[in-house]
Amino acid sequence: MSASTDTLVSRLETHARQVRRDIWRAVRAGGGGHIGGSSSAADILTALYFHRLKIRPQEPRWPDRDRFVLSKGHANAGLGAVLAQAGFIDDAILDKFYAYESPFGMHPDIKMAGVEMCTGALGHGLAIAMGMALGARLQKKSFHTFVMIGDGELHEGSNWEAAMAASHHKLSNLTAIIDFNKVCQSGRVNEVISVDPLADKWRAFGWAVREFDGHDMAEVVDTLDALPIDPHCPTALIAHTVKGKGVSFAEDTYVWHSNSVNDEILAKALLELAEPLQGAQP
Amino acid sequence: MNAPDSVQPEWRVKSANQTRLAYGQALLEIGAREPRAVVVSADTQDLLGIRTYIERFRERFIELGIAEQNAIGVSSGLATTGMRPYVCAYAPFISARSMEQIRNDVAYANQRVVIGAAASGISLGVAGGTHHSLEDLALMRSLPNMNVVVPADVNEAYKATLATLDIDGPVYMRLGGRAEEPPVTGAEAPFRLGKAAQLRPGNDIAVLACGAMVELAVRAADALKKEGIGVRVLNMSSIKPFDRDAVLAAAAETRGIVTAEEHHLTGGLGGMVAELLAVEQPTRMRMVGMPDVFAMVGPTVAVRVKYGMSADGIASACRALLA
Repeated sequence: MSASTDTLVSRLETHARQVRRDIWRAVRAGGGGHIGGSSSAADILTALYFHRLKIRPQEPRWPDRDRFVLSKGHANAGLGAVLAQAGFIDDAILDKFYAYESPFGMHPDIKMAGVEMCTGALGHGLAIAMGMALGARLQKKSFHTFVMIGDGELHEGSNWEAAMAASHHKLSNLTAIIDFNKVCQSGRVNEVISVDPLADKWRAFGWAVREFDGHDMAEVVDTLDALPIDPHCPTALIAHTVKGKGVSFAEDTYVWHSNSVNDEILAKALLELAEPLQGAQP
Repeated sequence: MNAPDSVQPEWRVKSANQTRLAYGQALLEIGAREPRAVVVSADTQDLLGIRTYIERFRERFIELGIAEQNAIGVSSGLATTGMRPYVCAYAPFISARSMEQIRNDVAYANQRVVIGAAASGISLGVAGGTHHSLEDLALMRSLPNMNVVVPADVNEAYKATLATLDIDGPVYMRLGGRAEEPPVTGAEAPFRLGKAAQLRPGNDIAVLACGAMVELAVRAADALKKEGIGVRVLNMSSIKPFDRDAVLAAAAETRGIVTAEEHHLTGGLGGMVAELLAVEQPTRMRMVGMPDVFAMVGPTVAVRVKYGMSADGIASACRALLA
């Protein structure tokens, strides 16, 4: 790893820790929420918003911006955390999670700056992102469209309609990121309904596939920088992640898919997410 | 009834008195006028007569196959980038199957997506209940931000489709099938969203109709005129928004209101009129439309007649109100 990459990764890791702290903070403000899927996505969201996406937080509707659609809309605490840190929204909005008339509810709302689509009903984002990618092609624009999909979300059949059509239309300007944290609301995804063999499914639908560790920031950056993998088809990035990543008691359990958070639990979580002491190894 | 123009424009001829084809003809004009227009097909190239559009605007045509949910989601995504998608689809599938995509991706997100929903009602009579679309008006008009239009004939279908260029929001355009929809609106009459057009004057009874029922309402009115009954006929092609003033005036100035629609009696035009009048001006009503059963199999017109959706059925409802 070069020195500059080292610096980049270290910077992004610092951002990611803040994103995780803000996820817990928002969920505490809401009284509860989707810690698990927000935390599994946190490193990828961080790498997208602080490294990969061409965006202008002061001009959220800039026509040439890269698009990011959070199809797994229940991870909105994670999206809000990166949007606040990136400067799309006021940091104080994070304390208005679930609040009366808040723009920041459980699921993304297009009316909030930086949010590209109202999502949360699962199985919608890939088709929408495909439409954005087609819009780019029709208007001869070079922006790239990313969509993040949950692993359990792939149970929804509409994903596969879009997957089939996106490769038919050779949308190499479209990347789907699967947050493969292996856990959904009722238990382990593959015990609820198996999604395996996941990479083979996407390949069979005509996508270029790459699997990576969604918590190894150097690998996340390397993966996002390698796009498109194939200039003739869309890319599926399968991110191996851990539900609730970053806080030991919330990791890898369906209990923390969505759960309530009080001050005591928040304090325990924040202790684990504290910045490492200066000079210590992260 | 308007006499056919001596020299009809090409679109009028090619529409063959079918609103679904008039939509496809209007897309040629839209494609020429609006560089951001893009036509999205769900394996429906002949259903809406868009092969000429495809030849002329190949780069602004997207085929998505037999996948209605995807067609709506993709159209929403296209609209966010500034494109103006026109979906071509079967009414029964695009409305019921894609309802969640229409609600969330189009109506909730308030995207300018126009949905051309052909073969509505019992256009596909012989196909059976799986292919009838008798609840789509109830579904679509229950959505905030949605505009709902049911053209009465090809003149109106053509003009209403062109009018979508100026509608800042989603539109559900309910279109017919292969059964002819004879011209009933004037070639010169404008289409105005939110406005009802009076096609016959009268102060005994008012018939408020939409779609193919408008022509039947006019026939019923002409028959009743011979009996000395004055029937006001309003074309309620704009279902959402709708012309509240025209409905209230009809209620105030006549002895009762008959609604006529090729749709279940639950939640469609009749329900809409009753909801207004029950609150603002309780009025005696009769509703012509599909009762609360799945329709039998049969040719479109015969199935309509079976359930009272005919000029005779409308006239009987008028007489019942006056009795």
